[in-house]
Amino acid sequence: MGAYTAQARGVALGILEYRVNVLLGIVATLMQLVALLAVWQVLLADSPVQGFTWPQMQAYLLVTFACGALVSTNSDFRMAFRIQSGLVALDLVKPVDYQRSRFAEALGGLWLEVVLILIVVTSAAALLGGLTVPAGPALALFAISMLLVVPLKFLIVYVGTLACFWTQSYMGVQWARIAVMSLLSGALIPLAYLPGWLGTIAQWSPFAGLTSTPALIYIGRVGFGDGMMLVAVELGWVIVLWFGARLLWRAAVRQLTVNGG
Amino acid sequence: MPPIVEARDLTKVFRRPEKDPGLAGSLKHLVRRRFTDKVAVDHIDLSIEAGEAVAYVGPNGAGKSTTVKLLSGILVPTTGEVRIDGLHPQHDRTAIAHRIGVLFGQRTQLWWDLPVRESFAVLRDIYGLDAATYRKRLARFDEVLDLGEILPTLGRKLSLGQRMRADLAAAMLHGPRVVYLDEPTIGLDLQVKDKVREFFRTLRDEGTTVMLTSHDLADIEGFCRRLVIIDEGRIIFDGDLGAVKDQYARERILHVETEQPVPVEAVRLALPGAVITEGETPNQISVRFDRFVLTAGHAVTALAGLATLVDFRVDEPSIEDVIRRVYSGEILFDAKSA
Repeated sequence: MGAYTAQARGVALGILEYRVNVLLGIVATLMQLVALLAVWQVLLADSPVQGFTWPQMQAYLLVTFACGALVSTNSDFRMAFRIQSGLVALDLVKPVDYQRSRFAEALGGLWLEVVLILIVVTSAAALLGGLTVPAGPALALFAISMLLVVPLKFLIVYVGTLACFWTQSYMGVQWARIAVMSLLSGALIPLAYLPGWLGTIAQWSPFAGLTSTPALIYIGRVGFGDGMMLVAVELGWVIVLWFGARLLWRAAVRQLTVNGG
Repeated sequence: MPPIVEARDLTKVFRRPEKDPGLAGSLKHLVRRRFTDKVAVDHIDLSIEAGEAVAYVGPNGAGKSTTVKLLSGILVPTTGEVRIDGLHPQHDRTAIAHRIGVLFGQRTQLWWDLPVRESFAVLRDIYGLDAATYRKRLARFDEVLDLGEILPTLGRKLSLGQRMRADLAAAMLHGPRVVYLDEPTIGLDLQVKDKVREFFRTLRDEGTTVMLTSHDLADIEGFCRRLVIIDEGRIIFDGDLGAVKDQYARERILHVETEQPVPVEAVRLALPGAVITEGETPNQISVRFDRFVLTAGHAVTALAGLATLVDFRVDEPSIEDVIRRVYSGEILFDAKSA
């Protein structure tokens, strides 16, 4: 087995030790889903707001839930802990690439998240009386966009966690990241509802790809051409962040190895 | 053959923020940042031959762990350079990772949420070991470290002794040519310590180069032939362990038990130059002497002439005593020699 596959497998096996934790995390995301569904049902009961109809909003929120549950199994905590406690020193004497190893770990936790997402989405669809699934090309685009959520979210969390090399504490970093992520990704409210200038910033930011892009494609708010454009931006950020994170890691290791842990 | 580990003029200076106490001090530090330099390792030259077992000792904060981190490439030296098997730690990180094993006794590299067996399997794949080599090594480690009951246990459920044994195996699984063991017996009970020490000896006998850092000097005796003492970031002694003992641990104590009470004055006359002490009973006596002035055999013969001997034993001072005297400044080494 390859070095990275082995690390992914390690997390995939170990994650069941945290099943209660994972489950509670998903329940929290689920609560948010229920609350938002309730609010939007009232707001959209009579007429669409800014072009969002009630059925569209249901689908939007389900995609938001799925995006929120992906790559959510606290691998960042483990990494933050290893950095703060100095255990990261042992990662430095392994013949593997640090960033690829952490990505492999994030992928290892994916299976449980996907299982939980499938359970929630199918039961929600049943409760809401079925979901409209987009037509062929849009569906394919949506699938690509969802796949890209995985590396994108990993990278945003990873870059945030690297801040621990300088801050020595993870709580503040994590809260700031979550606040920015939920606002600028469209997870809190669709980006169309933000003030124009903020909406534009958000749309071009790496965060839009976390929720807004797959959700808008799924509900058909954007056509195929615009959808391609959004997915291209999402992919662009994945590439930029992947290499940007490497530079940041190099600076972080310098910080550790030059100034002492 | 060139040395497998070579450090030349190795220096590590840490920059520490200098803060006045309290919130006011912290706020002041935000505005005007002041730092002090702390020299952790100060111009160290060290070269270790393949297959050597080196004890690296010194008081807390002497720079032992920093040296280990420099020699394994975890820290970048401020000045000077390190070569492992001719390779540069920062430039050839991956190649070096295959050659070195590191154990920090206070830390674990096991996965908390996986059975030890699975942690080992991940390491096997990280180092790209083939199945046969892996099985062979594991079986060999099992002989000494008794891994049987440990393998199916979750990392976080191990006792300290189990964890250390598992961590030792984990550090050695890829068959490194050089291992740095930093406090490998810390907090262990005697029985586990014995096992761990036996494991060190098997490593040495197989030709692995070992650098051992420990506060427990019993780890060192009978294992390392070379002793390096560091204090305040400088190497104050580097030489043969036996030579140190010859030079600074010459004293022997002979304890004798006799059938009838021995007149102490008679013993003093028979063994001039030795210090005689009476034991707990009149039938016991202790003779303290310099082994280059008097031999144990000579002392025993002299005593046998005075009384019938029932039992005797000779105490040698441990290297621990010597190092304690070095730390306390009682022994000063003039140069790095022995």
